Amino acid sequence: MAETKVAAYICKGCGLGERLDTDALVKIAQKDGKVPMAKTHDFLCSADGVAMIRNDVANEGVTHIMIGACSRRAKTEAFHFPENAVARANLREGVVWIRPDTEEARETTQDMAEDYIRMGCAEVKAMAAPGGNPNTGSSKTLLVVGGGVTGMTTAIEASKTGYPVVLVEKTGALGGMAGQLWKRMPVHEPFKSPADTGVADLAAQVMGDSNIKVYLNATIAKTDGAPGRFVVQIATESGATHTEDIGAIVQASGFTTYDMNKLPELGGGKSPNVVDQLGLEALAKAAAAGDGVIRRPSDNQPVKSVVFVQCAGQRDPSGTHLAYCSGFCCNASIKQAMYFKDANPSVDTTIIYTDLRTPGNGEDFYRSAQEKGVIFTKGKVSGVQPGSNGSTVSFHDLILDDANATIADVDLVVLATGQVPNSGVDIFAVPKEGEGEPEVKPISILNLNYRQGTDVPQLKQGFTDSHFICFPYETRRTGIYTAGPVRRPMDIAQAREDATGAALKAIQALENAELGRAAHPRSGDLSFPKVRLEGCTQCKRCTVECPFGAIDEDEKRFPVFNESRCRRCGTCMGACPVRVISFENYSVNTVGAQVKAVDIPDEFSEKPRILILACENDAYPALDMAAMNRNEYSAFVRVIPIRCLGSVNTIWVTDALNAGYDGVMMMGCKSGDEYQCHFVKGSELGRVRMSKIDDTLKTLNLETERVRDLEVAITDIERVPEMINKYVEELVAIGPSPFKGF
Amino acid sequence: MTEHVATNETILVVGGGISGMTAALEAAETGKNVVLVEKNPALGGRTSQLYRYFPKLCHPTCGLEINQRRLKNNPRIRVLTLAEVTGIEGGTGNYTVSVRVKPRYVNENCTACGECAKAVSTEVADPFNYNLGTHKAAYLPSSMAYPQRYVLDPAIIGTPEADAAKAACKYGAIELDMQEETLQVKAGAVIWATGWQPYDAAKIQPYGYGRFKNVITSVEFERLADPHGPTGGKLLRPSDGKEAKNVAFIQCAGSRDENHLRHCSRICCMASLKQTHYVREKYPEDGKSTIYYIDIRAIDRFEDFYQKVQADPSVSFIKSKVARISEDEQGNPVCWGVNTEGYKRYTTPHDLVVLAVGMEPSVKGVNIPGHIVADSSGFIEADPANGAVFGAGCASNALDVNRAVQSATAAALRAIQVVNKVAKAEA
Amino acid sequence: MSANTAMAEKYRNNFLKEIEEQVEMGDWVKMCMQCGVCSGSCPTNFQSAWEHPPQELFMMIRAGKREEVLTTTSMWNCTSCYNCIVRCPRKLPITHIMHGIAEYAHRLGVAPKMQPTRFFSGLFWKNATKTGRVNELKLSMGLYFKNGFGAGVKEGMKMKDVALGLIKAKRLNPFEILGGHTCKDQKGIQAMLKKAYEIERSRKAAKTAG
Repeated sequence: MAETKVAAYICKGCGLGERLDTDALVKIAQKDGKVPMAKTHDFLCSADGVAMIRNDVANEGVTHIMIGACSRRAKTEAFHFPENAVARANLREGVVWIRPDTEEARETTQDMAEDYIRMGCAEVKAMAAPGGNPNTGSSKTLLVVGGGVTGMTTAIEASKTGYPVVLVEKTGALGGMAGQLWKRMPVHEPFKSPADTGVADLAAQVMGDSNIKVYLNATIAKTDGAPGRFVVQIATESGATHTEDIGAIVQASGFTTYDMNKLPELGGGKSPNVVDQLGLEALAKAAAAGDGVIRRPSDNQPVKSVVFVQCAGQRDPSGTHLAYCSGFCCNASIKQAMYFKDANPSVDTTIIYTDLRTPGNGEDFYRSAQEKGVIFTKGKVSGVQPGSNGSTVSFHDLILDDANATIADVDLVVLATGQVPNSGVDIFAVPKEGEGEPEVKPISILNLNYRQGTDVPQLKQGFTDSHFICFPYETRRTGIYTAGPVRRPMDIAQAREDATGAALKAIQALENAELGRAAHPRSGDLSFPKVRLEGCTQCKRCTVECPFGAIDEDEKRFPVFNESRCRRCGTCMGACPVRVISFENYSVNTVGAQVKAVDIPDEFSEKPRILILACENDAYPALDMAAMNRNEYSAFVRVIPIRCLGSVNTIWVTDALNAGYDGVMMMGCKSGDEYQCHFVKGSELGRVRMSKIDDTLKTLNLETERVRDLEVAITDIERVPEMINKYVEELVAIGPSPFKGF
Repeated sequence: MTEHVATNETILVVGGGISGMTAALEAAETGKNVVLVEKNPALGGRTSQLYRYFPKLCHPTCGLEINQRRLKNNPRIRVLTLAEVTGIEGGTGNYTVSVRVKPRYVNENCTACGECAKAVSTEVADPFNYNLGTHKAAYLPSSMAYPQRYVLDPAIIGTPEADAAKAACKYGAIELDMQEETLQVKAGAVIWATGWQPYDAAKIQPYGYGRFKNVITSVEFERLADPHGPTGGKLLRPSDGKEAKNVAFIQCAGSRDENHLRHCSRICCMASLKQTHYVREKYPEDGKSTIYYIDIRAIDRFEDFYQKVQADPSVSFIKSKVARISEDEQGNPVCWGVNTEGYKRYTTPHDLVVLAVGMEPSVKGVNIPGHIVADSSGFIEADPANGAVFGAGCASNALDVNRAVQSATAAALRAIQVVNKVAKAEA
Repeated sequence: MSANTAMAEKYRNNFLKEIEEQVEMGDWVKMCMQCGVCSGSCPTNFQSAWEHPPQELFMMIRAGKREEVLTTTSMWNCTSCYNCIVRCPRKLPITHIMHGIAEYAHRLGVAPKMQPTRFFSGLFWKNATKTGRVNELKLSMGLYFKNGFGAGVKEGMKMKDVALGLIKAKRLNPFEILGGHTCKDQKGIQAMLKKAYEIERSRKAAKTAG
């Protein structure tokens, strides 16, 4: 690579020229920042200003650009130099907009700007323009695990887009759960009657598509590699193993119905005349194959009365059964009641529910069932007693407030039991207190040969993890997307939509993996973690902590980075005690150099210095927006944006304290079950790491107040300045750091 | 962010809310060129006007920040704001779309320094805050606005105010002679993601929206709770600025009603459950919420959020569609009705009533150029007759954010399938 | 009906079917989704509570509570203000159903005998159909004396100022007591009523059969 040449450009627009001594800033850049070229411009983001920079790159050999202007979040189109290393010193949102325009504030404001110029110069020198991960793969084949509606849809949609597919189904036939249904709820106007499931058509399409290779009676024996270069071993019934090169994976392993034998009080398992919804589908299919009359299993007599018990074993806050609602069961019971009513309106069909949940046009389906004479009763079923002449259903009628309501002589009782995801081994399951064994599903779906376990991490209810509001597809295993009821409970229509989206994400993942780029949320990022193995002590912290399971271990327990699995959060870098992990444009050095570049006034100056390490996704924008609202805060803080709290290496904190900073504030996103961290576990891991900093402070003989871990949300535009100002006051009360001047 | 030339391998996305942005980004990150058309001056759509999301109670701007960064980093997406589609010609793989772009009167020189706003004194209604407040006629639509560029309201064009704004700008960013223009954009496929609008609550006559100041809609309540909103995040009722501590939430305000919207809007129950949290957050000591409902539709994983709210002693649930609202002498809205669980009559005064208004597709009643198949509620159906025009998000169904994102991602693939075919044919 | 069969009838569709067949607009009962807007919209329900408001009656019908439904005074409280109909999100013709159930209970002879609305309705009907004209004097006297002679006199005295006012305004004619005005073609009226009964009977028979 060519020689490094750094240039600093300082903007005088947006009031910077009036509020700051920009000539002094140029001198600081030259003297302290040691850059050979430093210039000012009245309006740097203008076409003229940008042309000046481009000209220096083209004709003066400038490789590294330090821009002292607005926030890195602003004017991104103008300051877009993908070929160069770029640092932005935030003089506008970071300095002049958060400081009062008064004579007495002038000095501290200028101090602040000068430090940001020093920091920017130090940072850019420690950076390199990222070149992209070289360890790519080029497989364009999708692996789809599961041959139900979700899996088949994924395969068909991917094939339609031009990508070959390998589909693995554990049973001997395609179709999955939906294949066991007689009909489905309607998805088109007029939403009135059950419709064909479409499963046979899908299966025929899959089988007839030369771009889709289907393995039946097969499971995944082993998955190695990374996006673009997965190597998957498929075990078939015969005992043979087939190896496939795969670019990306969609896990569509579906669900199992909640076992109704766990509901003996509702007659589950006590009588053949108490069935779950799938059981009724079987009866309906048998009827359709015969005379169309659904018969009760015990004696084959036509069913004259049927009661549907909604939420059987679901929405249970006690923890005994499923805590969640499966979402589809209200519509499913409506559909099943119609099986009876459409064939013979004189059959009594009653649906006992607490909240009827038919969103969207399901409301039309609900109305249609009422028109057909299905009776809906708001109530809580307390028991089903099967008897020789039919079952008795006891319930609390909530409308009539009758706690002892009963329906007697019911020919058939249908329990709406809901979906349990087939999500594989819960790799984070911990033994419950007082109990011996962890609650672990014994069968792995993917058999990932990953350091962190064989399957995609799950949420607490067994669904595969994701940011399920804004970015629902993001699992914690890059290039592996989950779709269908394994992700959250859903019906056929939603599963098909979900499958289509997952196909796109998988295609996107393998395309970007080939180009050496990151996947979400730093999509397009060409930086990737580099490790100096010669310094590694095999402590395994990086391999254990990586929120995305990107790092394996070799036989000598050295870390093996799978760059295409990496999401570039930097948690490994933060975790590494010997600091051998770095990114080209983000490293222990790029931040450490900034920490050290700040000028620390002596203890008599009454100018404390506080380092703020702010998450660039939420805390930093919050600071920016505070500035846009002109919410002022102390001039004693110096803010460094970080990729994630997880990337914070304790050396930055100890370096700062050793250098005489009076305090360190760390601002990261909410962690825990309701995490808001874009790297899922990043902020949590950062916090755990920093909770141990107290020991370091003690060895340095420093007060624990000198380091503060704060949860900051992007909306905290008023709270963050308040927090900063309060903290400054606290530190002033404690007194200056004893390390100043050393 | 760039000015790439649209061809019939380009995907045109209509609507820059969460669905449109998602569709555009997912397609662009898969290597496709995208033109994103938004009618407002900034991207973000309705989710950017929400204070928090259910069920995590996190902030929509958090996801918006990531999406905007994806956008800033991606040269494949060209964003047109203040732009509306007025015509679609052609067919699958070969559309010509007419896009009418209204003048912003501010060009890309704008640095968002805010000097023009200081020079202007005229205030205009602020649609971002559902007109609960006003803003300057030279304004940045919100702190999160992308493009981060000011707008001049047409109301001041031709007045000395506009000249003052122009004079205040040192960067030549204000162009008062900007004209409306119509662009012709080529596209292989179109994703229609124009989202939803809140049902007009004034049509629900017995609830008195528009007659009683302290009856507001759920979307307006979001603005009250938001620190960026007209009250700076304080729950103050409109009539007298009194703290709204006893808040009623009325479900199915328009939804599930043959006199209004036939469909269930899916999100309103969860939105109200979420909004009870705002009451508790702002008034931890004596905040009180009452939810009047027919069925609580906290579907699938959201159930535990419902259970959490149920366990909160400050929230009560009444199974009842409120029959009517009157107003007492103190300006308190009074809810009249019958709790159908065991038949209990009530006439209950509250400080504030929030109508959980239903979701009406924005495309309803709007003439989408070309032939589009919609259901009886106006949502775009998946139908071969639509050619390569694909509905996404709430233009296609009543969806929450997570489902809208799924839908948009799926729509992006459908569009990619079309342009891939075009590319193959041309290769 | 034995206790066992009574239990078996509960939440079965028999009574609902009976209502659908026998009651005008009774086939709408199944469409109710128990939102309660009808009960909350009813002004008389907020004057003096109904024993069972409309939506509860609908649930009771579905629950097979035949006797309780047919013998309650509730639906007789309906004054046909139509608030419930215009607000019902399912567009149930609730007013008509209330009158329909009341009429059916009356037809079966199980309606509460002295319920004022029912009593008045009967009186009115007899009064009006006799001559084709309503005899206000006889109608109000019939109403006053429904609880016996003494109570009637007392009630009448209370209203004497109103009565005198009406007489002065020529709205009430004391000589109506002697027979009063009639319509011209009394035979025609009776024939019309007979035909109407016939049509109603045949319609009900057709509905029951079909």
